[in-house]
Amino acid sequence: MKKWIKVSLIFAFLLFSLAGMAQQQRFPKPEFGTGYSQPTPITPEPRALALEYTDVVILLIVLSMASYFAIRKRSRKGLLWLSVFTLLYFGFYRDGCICSIGSIQNVALTLFDPGYAISITTLLFFLIPLVFTLYFGRTFCAGACPLGAMQDLLIVKPISLPEWLRKTLGIIPYLYLSLAVLFAATGTDFIICRYDPFVGIFRMDAEFHMVVLGIAFILMGMFVARPYCRFLCPYGVLLNWMSRFSKWHLTITPAACIQCKLCSDSCPFDAIDYPTDEKQSKNRTWGVNRFLVYALLIPLWIFIGGFAGSKAHTWISKANPTVYLAELLITKPDVRNDLKNLDVQAYLSSGKSMETLVKEATVIRRKFYTGGWIAGGFMGLVIGMTILRQVVYRKRTDYQPHKGNCYSCGRCMGYCPVKK
Amino acid sequence: MKNKGIVFFLIILAVVIVVVVALDYNASKPDQQPANPYAYNIDPFSRIDTVLIHYKESRNLAISFSEPTGISFRGDELFVVGDQKLQIIEPTGKLMNEVSFDQKPTCVYASTENIFVGFKKSVAILSRDGAKITEWNSFSDSTVITSIAEKSGIVFVADAGKRMIRKFALDGKSLGIIEGKSGNDQIHGFIIPSPYFDLAFNADGELWVVNPGKHSLENYTVEGALRTWWQASSIKVEGFSGCCNPAHFAFLPDGSFVTSEKGMVRIKTYKPSGEFSGVVAAPSKFAENSEAPDLAVDNQGNIYALDLNKKMLRLFVKK
Repeated sequence: MKKWIKVSLIFAFLLFSLAGMAQQQRFPKPEFGTGYSQPTPITPEPRALALEYTDVVILLIVLSMASYFAIRKRSRKGLLWLSVFTLLYFGFYRDGCICSIGSIQNVALTLFDPGYAISITTLLFFLIPLVFTLYFGRTFCAGACPLGAMQDLLIVKPISLPEWLRKTLGIIPYLYLSLAVLFAATGTDFIICRYDPFVGIFRMDAEFHMVVLGIAFILMGMFVARPYCRFLCPYGVLLNWMSRFSKWHLTITPAACIQCKLCSDSCPFDAIDYPTDEKQSKNRTWGVNRFLVYALLIPLWIFIGGFAGSKAHTWISKANPTVYLAELLITKPDVRNDLKNLDVQAYLSSGKSMETLVKEATVIRRKFYTGGWIAGGFMGLVIGMTILRQVVYRKRTDYQPHKGNCYSCGRCMGYCPVKK
Repeated sequence: MKNKGIVFFLIILAVVIVVVVALDYNASKPDQQPANPYAYNIDPFSRIDTVLIHYKESRNLAISFSEPTGISFRGDELFVVGDQKLQIIEPTGKLMNEVSFDQKPTCVYASTENIFVGFKKSVAILSRDGAKITEWNSFSDSTVITSIAEKSGIVFVADAGKRMIRKFALDGKSLGIIEGKSGNDQIHGFIIPSPYFDLAFNADGELWVVNPGKHSLENYTVEGALRTWWQASSIKVEGFSGCCNPAHFAFLPDGSFVTSEKGMVRIKTYKPSGEFSGVVAAPSKFAENSEAPDLAVDNQGNIYALDLNKKMLRLFVKK
């Protein structure tokens, strides 16, 4: 019986082999050895759904470990190795995508475009770090963000920036968030992904100018710690808000602060609040008056911001390809004859009429007008609140990490001589 | 000032970041994008070594067609179709006869007795003096007729829409079809991605058909059995490239093939065995984005190419 099976198998093998040979003879492989190499696409291939869920599970594990290391274990070393893992896994292995920072745009698009549905994994990447931050502070920044890890590991000689500069640059993330949401909501572009300075390094296939951008940020990060996180990251805005209300948060000292000041210069991100000066609280009436004036000015700031945003909508909306194309075809009709202009040729071959294109562009521009009011108003609110905070006095007796700005990296913990 | 050098360095980096972002933002506009990174530069392949060019263009004849479509040669006359007419022209260019139709012809074939004019979904049969004999209309809705040939009273009609060759008797009776298929998976029929599907008989009475999707020329018996074939897939001058080439072909008196290609337009000759022989007209002879010229060969082996873009008949003779 076994022999019969063997013979059958050999016969079948020969039969298939001969069939393959005949096929090869009939249609030999075309010869196209031309040296042409297909450019690699900018976005990575989608992952299998099971792997995406695995990523969510790994994110949960990493966040749990980061929170454990930051709050319970108080281990800087643990956080450091966790960020190395994050850099390798979420950065280099997963090509930096999906990331929680970029997921803001997916959420915005799904809220404003009924034709777009966010995937559950993207939504989880957006929500989970926010929920963790609400409980444990910004442990996501400490151990689960590949962009943060990349910058954190390359800090060489951090310098302290003057407060006025920090406050001024600190407005940029709000502006970036406003624009990112506006652009995503209008279906214009995902600018967070497009100008992610490190994604090209993770994928090892960035265009030259993006390599320059990535290297510039890395070099800058050697002296200004985490420049992207502090002065650009739009997700950091949301994390900052959540962290301010966090139930638990990393502390410099495990017990009572002994005011030794050893930790005062330990934070490369200038995120340690010093004990308040008693003299500051003496002129209370003057402070209250200023607070009231600044608070009353906030609606004015919102209006000015909204008005400026609405006025800028014409210019900003040119970032939308449909709006730009419509304007281009109206102002430069000759561009239709430019065969090398792929966008114009793609539009012409689509068979879409000029009237339809203009109608679409008008709808998008109207969205930008409304969005301009909202985004501008939001920026007005941010500026108003930033000014207002200058006169808000909160009494502090100890050296404490700023709950909103602290990345829970744990550097300061090692400087504290107090043990449990 | 502390850290003066570092601050200066940081300012430079900040400027670099702003400039890079600004340049990238500006460069992505529809009228300012860089060249298509996926574009395949075929210019090197369109330059042909002059040693390979065995023919020269001896003259050309302007034709009064706004949209010429097909050509045939028989006896000492050229048959050209296009617009809504057929013109019978002497090789000197003198117009002998003109026949009008109510629709645009797609192809023409002249036998010793008849002229077969193909339309998208019908075939008209005329006498050699241009008188209409009959018309066949019983084709399917998806039919696209692209070529006709006749041998021993059997008319072969290439239907690119249905990806088959239809056979008819001269009285219009259907004699079956040739699909180029068999039960064997190795022969899976004609691959016709676009309406370019040519056929012709050689001097020995053998039916040859282009299988453009395979870049091959296939020889079938009248019954439709595949007898032999040759294939030349290559972007280089020796082969055919793109989705569907050669677009047209004809036979030289010695049985060699003359082929014309679309995309990178060129006319070449192949030996009866299928081996590349030489070039008749290099791509530089044709305007950019030209269509593939239809071909006809006279009794002396001179090649007539119907240039659909320049709207002229171009005669190529051996050097």
